[in-house]
Amino acid sequence: MTTMATPTQSTPDAEVPYYNPKSESVGAKRAKSTIFHVVALALTAVVLYPGLWMIASSFKPNAEIGGANTSLWSNNFSFDNFVTAMDGIGGVSTLQFFTNSLILAIGAVAGTVLSASVSAYAFARIKFPGRSVFFGMMIATLLLPFHVVIIPQYIVFQQLGLVDTYVPLLIGKFLAADAFFVFLMVQFMRNLPAELDEAARIDGAGHVRIFGSIMLALMKPALISTSIFSFIWSWNDFLGPLLYLNTPEKYPLPLALRLFVDQTQSSDYGAMIAMSVLALLPVLVFFLVFQRYIVEGVSTQGLKG
Amino acid sequence: MTQSPTLSRRSAQSDSPLPRKSRQRGADARAGYTFLLPWLLGFIALTVGPMISSLYLSFTNYNLFEPPKWIGLDNYTTLFQDERFLQSVGVTVSYVVFGTPLKLAAALAVAMLLNSKRRGQGFYRSAFYAPSLIGASVSIAIVWKAMFGDAGPVDQGLSIFGINLGGWVGNPAMTMPMFILLTVWQFGAPMVIFLAGLKQIPADLYEAASMDGAGPVRKFFNITWPMLSPVIFFNLLMETIHAFQIFNSAYIISNGEGGPAGSTLFYTLYLYLRGFSDFRMGYASAMAWLLLIVVGILTLIIFRTSKSWVHYSGDTK
Amino acid sequence: MINRRNFLTTVAIGSASAAALAACGQPAPSQTGSADNPVTINYTWWGNDDRAERTRKAIALFEEKNKDIKVNGNFTDFPGYWQKRATEAAGGGLPDVMQWDLSYLRDYGQRNQLLDLSTVKIDTSAFDKSLLPSGQIRGKTYGIPTSTNAFAVYYDPAKLASLGIAEPDGSWTYKEFNTFLAEVGAKGNGALFGSTDYTSVWWMFNIWLRQNNIEAFTEDGKLGFGKDDLKKWWNLTADLRGTPALVSEERVTQLAPKSPFGSNATATEVTWDNYMAGYLADSGAKALKVVPVPSDDPDNLGLFLKPSMLMVASAKTKNKDAAARFIDFMVNDPEVGQIFKTSRGVPASKTQRDGTTFEGADKLVVDYEKSIEQYLKDAPEPPIVGFGTLEASFKRVASDLNYGKLTIDGAADAWFKEAEDLIKQNA
Repeated sequence: MTTMATPTQSTPDAEVPYYNPKSESVGAKRAKSTIFHVVALALTAVVLYPGLWMIASSFKPNAEIGGANTSLWSNNFSFDNFVTAMDGIGGVSTLQFFTNSLILAIGAVAGTVLSASVSAYAFARIKFPGRSVFFGMMIATLLLPFHVVIIPQYIVFQQLGLVDTYVPLLIGKFLAADAFFVFLMVQFMRNLPAELDEAARIDGAGHVRIFGSIMLALMKPALISTSIFSFIWSWNDFLGPLLYLNTPEKYPLPLALRLFVDQTQSSDYGAMIAMSVLALLPVLVFFLVFQRYIVEGVSTQGLKG
Repeated sequence: MTQSPTLSRRSAQSDSPLPRKSRQRGADARAGYTFLLPWLLGFIALTVGPMISSLYLSFTNYNLFEPPKWIGLDNYTTLFQDERFLQSVGVTVSYVVFGTPLKLAAALAVAMLLNSKRRGQGFYRSAFYAPSLIGASVSIAIVWKAMFGDAGPVDQGLSIFGINLGGWVGNPAMTMPMFILLTVWQFGAPMVIFLAGLKQIPADLYEAASMDGAGPVRKFFNITWPMLSPVIFFNLLMETIHAFQIFNSAYIISNGEGGPAGSTLFYTLYLYLRGFSDFRMGYASAMAWLLLIVVGILTLIIFRTSKSWVHYSGDTK
Repeated sequence: MINRRNFLTTVAIGSASAAALAACGQPAPSQTGSADNPVTINYTWWGNDDRAERTRKAIALFEEKNKDIKVNGNFTDFPGYWQKRATEAAGGGLPDVMQWDLSYLRDYGQRNQLLDLSTVKIDTSAFDKSLLPSGQIRGKTYGIPTSTNAFAVYYDPAKLASLGIAEPDGSWTYKEFNTFLAEVGAKGNGALFGSTDYTSVWWMFNIWLRQNNIEAFTEDGKLGFGKDDLKKWWNLTADLRGTPALVSEERVTQLAPKSPFGSNATATEVTWDNYMAGYLADSGAKALKVVPVPSDDPDNLGLFLKPSMLMVASAKTKNKDAAARFIDFMVNDPEVGQIFKTSRGVPASKTQRDGTTFEGADKLVVDYEKSIEQYLKDAPEPPIVGFGTLEASFKRVASDLNYGKLTIDGAADAWFKEAEDLIKQNA
């Protein structure tokens, strides 16, 4: 993986005669397309089977889930699990849990996109003293397992009187605390041609303008990826809300989900899976809506210096 | 630093007189810190303190309830006589070594497959990303156990080919392959990042290469790989770091115990058990810092070697 | 330019030292509220959605009867519950009143996290005197039991009938019990096994020790038994391991988190009697029965009533009196008994028990505890500090033994090594 042919060297394989993609026959195109769909569909079937099983299970009675029961089909399909799941818990409606999750997720997306892109611009496009030291520190924050910083962080928020608010769950997002996203954007920005900034600079643009009007537009695929990930991570986050929230009315979904399974009492796996399926829907929709922007970003063609 | 074949580039050396340069440098420094401000604030307020205090705690016998007592290097020396710690290292290393490359290869292959203008792309992309969603759900334990259970879909699918392994879940020899498949199955996140990276590659590079008569293999090595290298590098590094820190799925699937027979006792799971079940947070902190140092060295090596194969269009010489 | 390095260092050390100290505040004088200006206390519990619903009703009832107190309820799942408590304790702020588990009573009690309830007004006159010591450590009362549970052998009468095996009456020696399991396994034809290996359950081992007049833990927090006792114990099922009398460890792992009994893989299970409702729901069985555990000494079954859960208060609570009134209400009030039935275990306070009507599965559990009254001995003291770890390690080592990863001797060595290390840690 370390020795790579540099792009300017051409591999000395047999020279293919001059070839124009447009001259490909219709038949060849169709064959290619068929092969593509066969491969993609086969892969889809394998990859989605567990998901299908999960959806099927959400309609099964509790006794038929888990352990030795692995079939997709059941003779006792019903909506009971969804009724239980939508019932709410301890006087809080399921809709409330959804709303809370949504607030947290949207906050997380907004905060992450704003702060990570700004920080990444500094790392990727501005030369300032100490840049590489800070960059190293940022990567170092990724390396420490989070369980040992839980308590010190909790104490900080406890001292500030911010427990049982959404602040501890969101403030980090607005302060680019997740190095994953900053680093992701740095990689994308560094890969945009340098001529862009130079040309703009010669025209007298400052960093704010370069960032706002050039970078953000060209970073669309990375920004969308960031939005998708931060939405989903926030949506599924269990630990943060567990530690910082004390009022059930403020709970997001993952906290509620786990109350269907309890080792010390009876467990309702059916309801848990049903609620998991319901919880997956919004993120799936979110992904469906935004995924095309990943690949339909601004074309970088015509940006050659 | 290599250059992309067709991007003609102006020399980055501005030929302006010196005074302007130093002014420029001052302005750049100011701008740099201004743009970095949110991250700096977060780093100082939320990250540095807890990191340093965990380092301090790793030299103490902190039990969460009483003020920590300094015990020097005891935690670190005890670690290496702790059989379960050594077991957790073995489990984690084998997971990283086998899981990460497979997952990245799958993600890159599928991303290339999906990076074309064909019908149904949106559907496929979502389908391939779905496992990453399910994988983060608490239901994954039930789903995954059903898939790999005795006479489950995997068992039956393999028996078609004459392979009879029985259930994987309760068999300590098969739980690691099961976890590796679980992570490979969730190739959605790196796939999305690869897709976004592929989007950055100017289409006319490929057109020019076609004119020169390059086939798909040559296009891949001469254009895709170098142009995508920053993203490949990112995914490689992140997936490696994440694999070392695998926790959620291990916790959920093994019910927080790391069984059967310790075969899923991943490093961070053991760290968690030490810290929060046994109330030995000093010990857990020592484990955390050991991991930080080891993975840190590995990260440094990856960074160093990256100079030879990662190439940035935007870097000036 | 700011001097970055100095600035960073100062900030880092500042917040680090703030994090490393666990402030030990003095409890403030108790506040009193009035109907117009009620005091608020926080109450937290673990459990499923059903318990959340019942607790909400109980809180509403309490607030109705005590207009000067408002209770904020909060719930989580069991594993999350303990992680949250540990974090709060380290941060110096546990909720006022908490549902508690016996395993953690010493960990928190001995380290000054819990309020000594003998300093506040809680009526314990309706409690069995043999039960209260299990909430007490070194003369201080840290927990009041809400309810009790006892160990039992569960069996599914329908499954035994289908195999043509007579139902047990619960007076059996270990040998007879093993024979019974082997018979179920032999007739079960690979579809039904006798039981899970009962020697892998810590509490059953504890009961066996009591049957042999050995206390599990000494008063000064050491082990009261030796390695040979443990080997003897694991040898009890040595002939059954790997036979259909015991369900294989592979299956147990495969079925988890459901128990093999709840998944209809075994005909019997040895565990706490208050799991009845859960087993009925999991297995879909029409009826399940409970009988006493085996013993080689017919006069000493080693049984005792254990608090299935306790009510405790935070040592730092600012509302001691309100907290005490709420605990008193939760353990004594007959209407609370009606709300919870046996979902917390059998109500420990006679007042509450007598005020509750039991039906169906609830009645079975209550009747079982009545039926073993003559055999009950004093409950043991709360287990030692770090007991949660010991119990988990017991289960793990026994599982390795069943996987054939360890011999009985090796398993005993492994467990003792961990136990001694833990006791040394917490000395």
